[in-house]
Amino acid sequence: MSRRRSRKSKGGNTTWLLITIVALVVVLGGAYFVKSQSGGTALAKPQNFSIREYRNDGSRMAVPGNHYLLEGRIENIETIGNNRLISVSLKNNRNERLPLLVTKDTTLDVNLTRKDIFLFNVECRTGRDASGNEVKGILVVKNAKTVQ
Amino acid sequence: MQKLFNDMKKELLLMMVSGLCGIAQAQMPLPTPTVQVQQVPAQQNAQGQPQQQPQQQRGAQPPGAAEPTNPQIMGVEIPLLDPATDTVSYNGGKFDVGNNAAVRAKFETFLHGTPDTSEQAALYSKKIDAILADTKKYSRNRKAIGSAAMVRMGKTLYKLADLPRDGGQSGVLASSIVSALDAQRGNRARDEESAALDRDIDDLVKKTNNYVNRNTVGNKGAQAQIGDIKGPAQNSTSVSNTFVIAHNTKSIAEKQAAKVKNSATNVEKEIAAKITYQSNLVTFLMMRRFDHAVIAARIYRHIFKDGDNKMQIDEKSQANEMLSGVAGVPPTVNTVDSMASEARSSVDKHMEAVHSMLAQNKLGEATQHLIEAVAIGEHMKSVFTFPVEGRRRVAAYWTLRKRALTALNARDYGTVDEIARKMKEMDVDFDDSMLLSYSAGRKRQSDLCIRNARKALLEGKDEEFNKHITEAGTIWPLNPNLDASAKHLEQFDNKEKELSEFRTLFARGEFRTIFKEQERFECVAVDPTLKTQYKEVILLVSTIDAMLKQLESVADQDKVMGPCIAYEKLVEYRTSEPRAANDPAYKDSLNHYAGKAHDFVQALRDAEDCESRREYGSALSNYYRAQCLYPKSTLAGQGAAKVSEIIVKAQY
Repeated sequence: MSRRRSRKSKGGNTTWLLITIVALVVVLGGAYFVKSQSGGTALAKPQNFSIREYRNDGSRMAVPGNHYLLEGRIENIETIGNNRLISVSLKNNRNERLPLLVTKDTTLDVNLTRKDIFLFNVECRTGRDASGNEVKGILVVKNAKTVQ
Repeated sequence: MQKLFNDMKKELLLMMVSGLCGIAQAQMPLPTPTVQVQQVPAQQNAQGQPQQQPQQQRGAQPPGAAEPTNPQIMGVEIPLLDPATDTVSYNGGKFDVGNNAAVRAKFETFLHGTPDTSEQAALYSKKIDAILADTKKYSRNRKAIGSAAMVRMGKTLYKLADLPRDGGQSGVLASSIVSALDAQRGNRARDEESAALDRDIDDLVKKTNNYVNRNTVGNKGAQAQIGDIKGPAQNSTSVSNTFVIAHNTKSIAEKQAAKVKNSATNVEKEIAAKITYQSNLVTFLMMRRFDHAVIAARIYRHIFKDGDNKMQIDEKSQANEMLSGVAGVPPTVNTVDSMASEARSSVDKHMEAVHSMLAQNKLGEATQHLIEAVAIGEHMKSVFTFPVEGRRRVAAYWTLRKRALTALNARDYGTVDEIARKMKEMDVDFDDSMLLSYSAGRKRQSDLCIRNARKALLEGKDEEFNKHITEAGTIWPLNPNLDASAKHLEQFDNKEKELSEFRTLFARGEFRTIFKEQERFECVAVDPTLKTQYKEVILLVSTIDAMLKQLESVADQDKVMGPCIAYEKLVEYRTSEPRAANDPAYKDSLNHYAGKAHDFVQALRDAEDCESRREYGSALSNYYRAQCLYPKSTLAGQGAAKVSEIIVKAQY
């Protein structure tokens, strides 16, 4: 009798343990989803960026929505209207320059100055010109911070 | 002054030599049609028409054209040599020493001959030198040459006459001496005869006086005086003495007459002997047998001991002019001696100079000295023993000089250039500037005329074409461009084929083909439209060629940026002149520099590809890369500016 009671008790604990684990996983997953959807100031995980591939195969590297974290020195700043176009030489390739767009809507925490090195958070976007035609593969600066 | 005097004598000798040959007279312009190298440039007019020959120009003075006369000494003009033109100016005439036909012929004969180094020639020189030494000794010591010495010299001279080098001149000299001595001997015999006559006259006078005295005593008181042979006879004795006295008187008169006759004969024979001897003396001098002239002059005073050295020659004769013309004083035997000795010395000096100049490889100077040495004294030992090697070298240079004169006369300026170059190679001191500059000037003149002729042809002005082409041919008959012009003329006559072909090539854009055969297609100018197209083609291809040449130089100077610059310039030019893209040379060059500047070109091409896909971010990045490779790139700069504007103005 006691052996029967004991066998019943053991099977019931295992079930409750499984249910608890599943519930925990669901809760944690939901929390992570909620957190990721909320955005905030935290940077997304950057992808590897190759300027050479960007030049040669823009369709693959410049997929709209891609984020890149780039460290580079500002070589030139060109202001046209309210937008700025900066050319940056990357840390690992000083012989080439990468064009980055700083739109008038972007608010940066730092002042961009020539010959200074910054860490840029950029996002690949596709714009539209006055005729409605696509302007593909533009790297738009989302944020930047000074690199000491 | 002494130097001037010596130069005068030398030049005078040259004139004398040529005058003897009967080809040039000092007072007459040379008829020989020759042209001097140095004189030619000034002797043709601007249109290239050959003018009168130089000697004729110089010799024939127009009336009233007063040419500066030479300086004079004692009223006699001094012949002067102009070293720049080798011309002697004398008595209003010009004598071209270096270009005289006779001198030239003699000189060439000498050059092509062989030196006479035979034993006979050596013996001849030795004997002549010995005689000269003897005569010099007697001349210096003022000692009379004895009959034995004179006979020895005469015999030696007769022996020398048989040698080929002598040419019989020693025999003539020996005969002259013998003849003069014979004449002197005859005079002495007549003198002795006159002396005997004197003695006879004295005897007869004495005898006659005695007869006269006796007659006076026989008459006793007669009034007759001594010597009165015409007194009346008083008796037979008186009569007898009277006849004797008359006979003696007649004999005395006859002897006096014979004496006078002898004296006159002596004078006559003396003068005749002197004339004969002096004639031979002058002949030796004029034949440039200076050794014989010196020997004869030195012996003269030992033959004719009257101390009269004056030359007995006609005052109007050429010889008198020659001998007295130097200083205007009467010529003497010593004058001949002096001139002959000076000539001998001068020849030896010239030959020393020839050897020295040849050793320094100065053929021009050597030739000049050798000409003068041969002209003055071809019979001198130093001249006829001149080695064959030297003769050949001078002959080669001399031949070139002659060819230069001939080529200039024929207006063959191509040959003139070639000869000037060769002469410069042979003689570093040879001044070829006058030949070359003159030749170049004439060539350019001729080419200019041809160009004008072509222009006239294109404009359809046949008369003007004929005029210019004739002028071009006159200036330079062998101008190679004349042949090309003739071909053009033929093409103008059969131009339909060229017109058709030109239209086809132009339509296909084969401008390079037209350019290569531009002379053939010049005839299309008859059609105004085609003429314009023709000019466009020539200008286009010429511009491309000039540009390619310039870019090649740039690319060579900078191996890194140079190809980028060249490529970009070619692309830019293609933008402004699209027709250049069809030119093979342009295409080759573009490909060449594209390969050399591969990264730069690839960046630009990638940028354009990205632009075409509207991937402006990648396009701008490629333009940036091109700018990094060639910072001054206009194409990259323009592309970057264009794309930047598109990027910045787009909405995101």
